[in-house]
Amino acid sequence: MRYSHHTPSLVKGLFLASAVALGGAASAADALRIGFHAPLTGFAAGDGKSSSLGAELAAEQINAAGGCDGRMVELVIYDDQAKADQAIPAANKLLGEGVKVAISGSYSGATRAAAGVFQKAGIPFISAYAIHPDITRTGDHVFRTSFMGEVQGRAGAKFVGEMLGHQRIVMITLNNDFGQSLATGFKQKAADFGIEIVSEYSYSIKDRQFGSIVAGVKRDAPDAIYASGYFFTAGPLVSQLRAGGVEAPIIGQEGYDTQHFIDIAKEAAEGVMITTSLDRDSEDPEMRAFIDAFEAKAGFPADMVAAATHTAVRVMCDAVARAGGDDPQAVRDALAATKDFATATGRISFNALGEIMKDVEIQVVKDGAYRHFASIHDPELLAPPSE
Amino acid sequence: MFHLELLVVGLIWGAMYAMMALGLTLVYGLLRILHVAHAGVFALGAYAGVLTANATGSLWLAVPAAIGVAAAVGPLIYRFIYAPMLSRPPYVALIASIGLFIAMEDGFRLLFGPYGLPFDYNPWFVTTYSLGGISLNVVQIAMAVSTLVLAGAFGVFIAATRVGVAWRATVSDPQMAQSFGIDPVRVRYLNFAIGSAMAGAAGLLVGLLNNLVEPGMGAVVSYKGLAIIVLGGLGNVPGAVVASLILGVVESFGTVYLAAVLDRDAIAFAVLIAVLLIRPRGLFAPAR
Repeated sequence: MRYSHHTPSLVKGLFLASAVALGGAASAADALRIGFHAPLTGFAAGDGKSSSLGAELAAEQINAAGGCDGRMVELVIYDDQAKADQAIPAANKLLGEGVKVAISGSYSGATRAAAGVFQKAGIPFISAYAIHPDITRTGDHVFRTSFMGEVQGRAGAKFVGEMLGHQRIVMITLNNDFGQSLATGFKQKAADFGIEIVSEYSYSIKDRQFGSIVAGVKRDAPDAIYASGYFFTAGPLVSQLRAGGVEAPIIGQEGYDTQHFIDIAKEAAEGVMITTSLDRDSEDPEMRAFIDAFEAKAGFPADMVAAATHTAVRVMCDAVARAGGDDPQAVRDALAATKDFATATGRISFNALGEIMKDVEIQVVKDGAYRHFASIHDPELLAPPSE
Repeated sequence: MFHLELLVVGLIWGAMYAMMALGLTLVYGLLRILHVAHAGVFALGAYAGVLTANATGSLWLAVPAAIGVAAAVGPLIYRFIYAPMLSRPPYVALIASIGLFIAMEDGFRLLFGPYGLPFDYNPWFVTTYSLGGISLNVVQIAMAVSTLVLAGAFGVFIAATRVGVAWRATVSDPQMAQSFGIDPVRVRYLNFAIGSAMAGAAGLLVGLLNNLVEPGMGAVVSYKGLAIIVLGGLGNVPGAVVASLILGVVESFGTVYLAAVLDRDAIAFAVLIAVLLIRPRGLFAPAR
């Protein structure tokens, strides 16, 4: 299924047809078309909606400010259902549409699959919020504007062990690319920060009922819980832990980072802390402008996923502007040279692997909203791999 | 103590599966159709419940809403989807059923949004009682009690009432039943109404337990329900209940002890394969 950003596809099709018929270079032909795949249907459709809204907001803002190097930005959006086997045809359809730059607004499995297609076609590609380490290792055309899973896991270990001083930790790991790469990073550094992992439970993305895990956590009586998940698993998980009488602090990650998590877990969400890249109380003008504009557009508060795709579109547009056009190789080189570019999720510079380096934000749920709790600035701990 | 708690959790999961599987196995017993869209009715019940609860602020009103909407829609599915296809091979109805289920899932997503709907006010979830050191919330208790009551009432209804006898007669030999003056079409409507009512109740309870009603919430119960009715012997009502409880308990222990090797759904299907290797017709004999 294809979703068009500006105009209904029928109308646009007629317009394009007439432009071709007139033989002139109409303005639509000059648009900068950015390929974008996201889970618009299926289990991850919530994040797909947020990620599309974030990308659309970026495109609207760029267009309102005169476009990207003078060209209007047009998103060409395909649904990948957050599945690898749907992402490959989606990526191929985007290539068939002739896009010369592309962005993933999807999860790790789908993004890894699409990255291979774009790399092979020589198309520069940004992963907005998929965190699996292998994505950028696909090749030199693949970049990531969010933290790698392992980096965020390491930050979680430092936060839990060193900053909060908890020692006996239970891990509850979502059994997919996202949860596993977070768990890997957490375990790598756990011992360094004095953490003993009492037990680790895992669950699948379809699970919403965690009675047996709650019983296990009660038996383990940990100092704190490091639990990975998305809002639709973490909401039920946190509610059920609290309803089952578990009072230990719960530390999550950017998968929790949306108001929808708080809407589901309600009072149980209070005090939950997460590692993420979006600081709700930031004084940074880029972040503030995004947070306010997103809520005005979407009608609900900004989340990490939307901030991430907003960032990716702006980074891509910046590279196109510096490359002086959308020649794929020139854009790739410009992307690689991105330096300290200010976005809603911080300042972006890429290393040799296409990974970014920035501080990790800690947010806490207070009175039904995410608030600033701390920032982790530790270049050594947070350094992504460079090869 | 820990194991007792896992057992209780497993039985509650089993109760949830039983409420779903009953409707499925009833439809199979009567029409030989695998009613995949039953999981769509489950989600529909949950949506009717959450919309009513959030609009009125009363969970008590959500109960009749969920059950009523589901019980009304089930017979409509029979009337407009299955009835015209009964003379065709069973896979035709199966394909239609899968199509309807996908359409319902996407319909919920388009109508009510991809993020799902939480209950604004869910006192049953946070009110807990401690029974012998095991704390259960009202929704979990309601899940277990309603399964017991519904399955019990259904057993009595089937065994001791005139309509129940007509039902059994229609299941075992539709033509003979018809020649004795039983209207098989009325039995079918009743069948869909009762099975769907139970699915609607299960959907509401699961929604309350997750505090979230989402478009895709039927997916897991759809294929697990099919595994259960195969495990219990297709069309066998007590078999489906026992198979549900076994599966719930195996999953509860499995998610703690086997999660490193198998995820929850894999456990369900490993049990199914193991049982079918030993007893190809399921734990209990299929209907007829």
